[in-house]
Amino acid sequence: MKPYLGTIKGTLIAWFIYRFSFFFTLAGNLLYMTLIFFLWKSIYSGADTIHGMTFNQTFIYLALAGSLFILFTPGTDWTISNRIIDGSLIVDLLKPVDFQILTLARTTGFGIFNVAVITIPSLLVLFLGFRADMKLGIGLLFFPIGIMLSFLISFAIDFSLGLTSFYTESIWGISTTKTAITSLLSGALIPLPFFPQSVQNILRLLPFQAIYNIPLSMVTSPNLSVLDYARALGVQVFWVVLLFAFCRWFYRRAFRVLTVSGG
Amino acid sequence: MSLIEARGLSKHFKVLNHREGLVGAMKDLFSTDFRVVKAVDDISFAIEPGEIVGYIGPNGAGKSTTIKMLTGILQPTSGRLIVDSIVPYENRQKNVRNMGVIFGQRTQLWWDLPVVESFKILRDIYSIDENTYNSQLGLFQELVDLRSLYSTPVRKLSLGQRMLCDLAAAFLHNPKVILLDEPTIGLDISVKSKIRTVIRELNDTHRTTIILTTHDLGDVEALCRRLMIIDKGKIIYDGEINRVTELFGVYRTLKVQIFQYGDGMMDLLKARLTDKFGKASEIVVENTEPGWTDVTVNQAVVPLLDVLNFLMGTLPVKDVRIVEVSMVSVVQKIYDGALR
Amino acid sequence: MRTLRYYLKIYFRCAVQYVKARMQYRDDFIICSIGMAFSCVTTIFVFRILFNTIPNLAGWSFDEILFIYAFFLLSITPVQFFVDNIWFLRYDIISGAFIKYYLKPINILFYYMSERVDVKGFSQLALGVATLIYASSRLRMEWNLARILLMGIAWFSASLVAMSILIIAGSTGFWLFGGSLPVLNLAIKIRDFSPYPTTVFTGIFRILFTYLIPIGFVAFYPAQLFLRPGTAPLLAYASPLIGIGFFLLAYFIWSKGVDSYAGTGS
Repeated sequence: MKPYLGTIKGTLIAWFIYRFSFFFTLAGNLLYMTLIFFLWKSIYSGADTIHGMTFNQTFIYLALAGSLFILFTPGTDWTISNRIIDGSLIVDLLKPVDFQILTLARTTGFGIFNVAVITIPSLLVLFLGFRADMKLGIGLLFFPIGIMLSFLISFAIDFSLGLTSFYTESIWGISTTKTAITSLLSGALIPLPFFPQSVQNILRLLPFQAIYNIPLSMVTSPNLSVLDYARALGVQVFWVVLLFAFCRWFYRRAFRVLTVSGG
Repeated sequence: MSLIEARGLSKHFKVLNHREGLVGAMKDLFSTDFRVVKAVDDISFAIEPGEIVGYIGPNGAGKSTTIKMLTGILQPTSGRLIVDSIVPYENRQKNVRNMGVIFGQRTQLWWDLPVVESFKILRDIYSIDENTYNSQLGLFQELVDLRSLYSTPVRKLSLGQRMLCDLAAAFLHNPKVILLDEPTIGLDISVKSKIRTVIRELNDTHRTTIILTTHDLGDVEALCRRLMIIDKGKIIYDGEINRVTELFGVYRTLKVQIFQYGDGMMDLLKARLTDKFGKASEIVVENTEPGWTDVTVNQAVVPLLDVLNFLMGTLPVKDVRIVEVSMVSVVQKIYDGALR
Repeated sequence: MRTLRYYLKIYFRCAVQYVKARMQYRDDFIICSIGMAFSCVTTIFVFRILFNTIPNLAGWSFDEILFIYAFFLLSITPVQFFVDNIWFLRYDIISGAFIKYYLKPINILFYYMSERVDVKGFSQLALGVATLIYASSRLRMEWNLARILLMGIAWFSASLVAMSILIIAGSTGFWLFGGSLPVLNLAIKIRDFSPYPTTVFTGIFRILFTYLIPIGFVAFYPAQLFLRPGTAPLLAYASPLIGIGFFLLAYFIWSKGVDSYAGTGS
C-alpha cells in the first residue's frame, strides 16, 4: 500500500513544487546568509572595523547582495537563448512591439515576483532573525531607486548576452563567465572597500559596481550627503543610458544575422 | 514446462479518488479514500518457444502492465509468472539478459553515437561471443544493408533506418524472447514490409519467441499465428488468429452488381431470400457502395454457395465479389465489448 | 559477469565514444571551459583579496585555504564526469523514456550515468590540479608514495560525498515527477559552501554541515589530513567511512525512486 500512496502524494507534492519552486530559492538564499554570517563573524573576530566597515555593515552589505542576486539574474540571457533554440523567438519578432521592450516587460514581471517572494522574506529574516542593525536614514529613500536602476543595468547586460545566442549556442559558458566577473567586480562577493585602492579606482569605472556596490553602499555607508546619493544615482543613470544604447545597436546587427541565416 | 507461463497473474493498483480544486488537492494528501484498479486481473497463459504471439487490446487494457511484469519492472500482486524458469521481478538482470525489447516510439540505442558503437556496447553488456555477434549482424546485412548506416549517429537516422537498427540491436545477443511494442509505428509501407520480413526470418532461423503488442493489425496478421486479446485486465481471447474472425459466426459477404438496379429492388431481394432460406437464415442485405448490393451470409447457418447460386439464378447479376469479414472489424467489435 | 572489470569495460567504451561525439562541438567546448575557468578563478580572487586584509581565516592561512579549495575542485570533478546525467533525469521521467533503463541486464544507476560525461569538467580538473600543486609547494608539502596513496583515498572519499549529494537531490525527481531542478540547484548552492572551513559554523549549523549534509567532508576535513596531519581531528580520518556510508544512502534512495517510478511510468 505504501508505495502507491507515496506516488499519489508525489504527484500532488510535485504540483506544489512546480508552483512554489521559489521556496527552494528562498531556502538557498537564507542558507547563504547563514554562511556569510558565520564566515564574516570569523573574519571579524580579530578587529572591529576592516577597511572602514564594521561587521554589521559588511554583513548587511553581503546578505543584501545575495538577496538581490536573484533579482538581478533573471536569466534573460538564457531565456533568449532557449527561445532561439526552440523557435518561439520568431513569435516575439512578429509582434508589433519592440523586442527589447517586450523582453524588459517580461523580465520586470519576474522581478516583481522575485521581490515579493524572495527579497522581502529574506529582508525579514535578515533583520528579525539575524538582528542585523541598520541605521535608518535618507539612504532608505534612495535605495529603491538605486535598485530599480541596477535592475535595468543588469537587464541590459543580460540582454546583450542573450543576443550573442544569435551567433552561438554556448550560452552556458558565456553566462557563467558573466556571472563570475559580475559577482567579483561588483562587490557582491566582497565589498568594494576591501579591494586594493588602485583596483578600486578601476572598478568604479566599470558598470558592474553600479549594479551592486552603489545601492548597497547607500544603506551601509554612514554619513553620506544628499549630494553623494545624487551622484551615485547619476552614475547609474549614465550606465543605463549607455548600455541601453549599446543594446539597441547590437540588436540591430544581431537581427541582420538572424534574417540572413533564416533561423 | 512452457517457456513463458502465467497462472492467476494479477496486478492491482490503489488509486486515490481525487477531489476537486486546491483545497481538495490538499485534502488528498491525507486521504485514505481509494479504489482498487485491477490492471491485470487473474490471467493465465502459456507460450512455447518459437511462437509469435500477438498481444492486443484497447488502450488501458493491461498490455503494458503485463509487459512490465514480464520484464521484471513490476511486481505482480498475486499469481505466478515464470520466464525460462526465472521469476522476472526477483531476478531482473538475469531475466532481461534473455530478452530483447523494442519500443517503436523510443530508441534503445545510444543517441549521440554512431550505430556500430551501440552494437559494440551491447556486445560488452551481453557478453556476446564473436561468432554470434558476427552472424547476427551478417544476417541483418543480408536482409537489409545495415552496414551503410554503421557510422551514422543514431540521431541522424530516419525513422525507418532507426527501427531497423533497433531491431538489429534487440536481436544481437540472440535472446530467447523478444518483446515488440509498436515496431512499425509511423513507418511507410515499404519499410514496414522489410521489418516484417526480418522478424519472420529471425523467428525462422533462431526459433525466437516473439510477443507483439501493437494497434497495427496488419502487423498482427502478417506475423502472428496466435492471438491474445486483453480487455479490462482479463484475457478474452487466446487462440489461433484465423479463428478470431469466426468468433461471431463465419461470415462472408457477397457483393453483387445487378443490371438495371432500381428502387424497390432491395426489398424484393430481401423478400426472395427470406422465402428461399427462411427468416432464421440471418441473411443481411444492405447497400454500402453505390452500384453494389451486399449480401452477408453466416456460413454456419447457410452455405454461401447456395445463396450465390440462388442469386445468380434469380437476378441479372453483372459482377460478383466475395469478401471475408475483416479482422479489423471483428477486433473492433471485441474492443467495443461484444465478448463481454 | 557483473564484475568490476565488466563494468569498467562498458563504461570506458561509453565514455570515450560520448566524449568523442561531444568534442565535435569544438566551439562550445572552448567557451564552456572558459566559463568554468572564470568561475573557479573568481573564487580564488575572493580569497586573495580577503587575505590581503586578514592574516588568517578561522586559523587557516591563505595557502592552506587555497589547498582546501583545490581539493574541493578535485572532489567535485568526478561529479561532472560520472553523474552529469542526473540533471537530465527529470526530462526522462516526464517523457517516460526512463523505462528503457530497466531493460538491460546491468545496474540501472550505472547505465543511466554512463551515458553522459560533462567535458567541461576537464578544465576544472586541470585548474584544480594546478592550484593543488601551487598551494602544496607554497606550503612546502612533501609528497611521498604514502601521501599520494592517502591523497587517492581522500579524494575518493570526498568525491563519493559530492556525488551522493547530487544523486539524492536528483532522485527526488522520481517522487516529484521531474520537479527536481530546484532541489538540485539548492544542493549545488549548499555544496559550494564546502571550500570554507566548516569550523566557522557553530551549533546546529555545524551539525548540519558535518553530519546531515556532510559538505565538510567534500573538502575541509579530508584536506586536514595533509595540511595538519598532527592535529587533524578524528573526524578527518572518518572520511572514507562517511564517503562510503553516504554513497550507500544515496544508492538506497535512488533504488527506492526507481522502484516507485516503475509502478507509475507509462
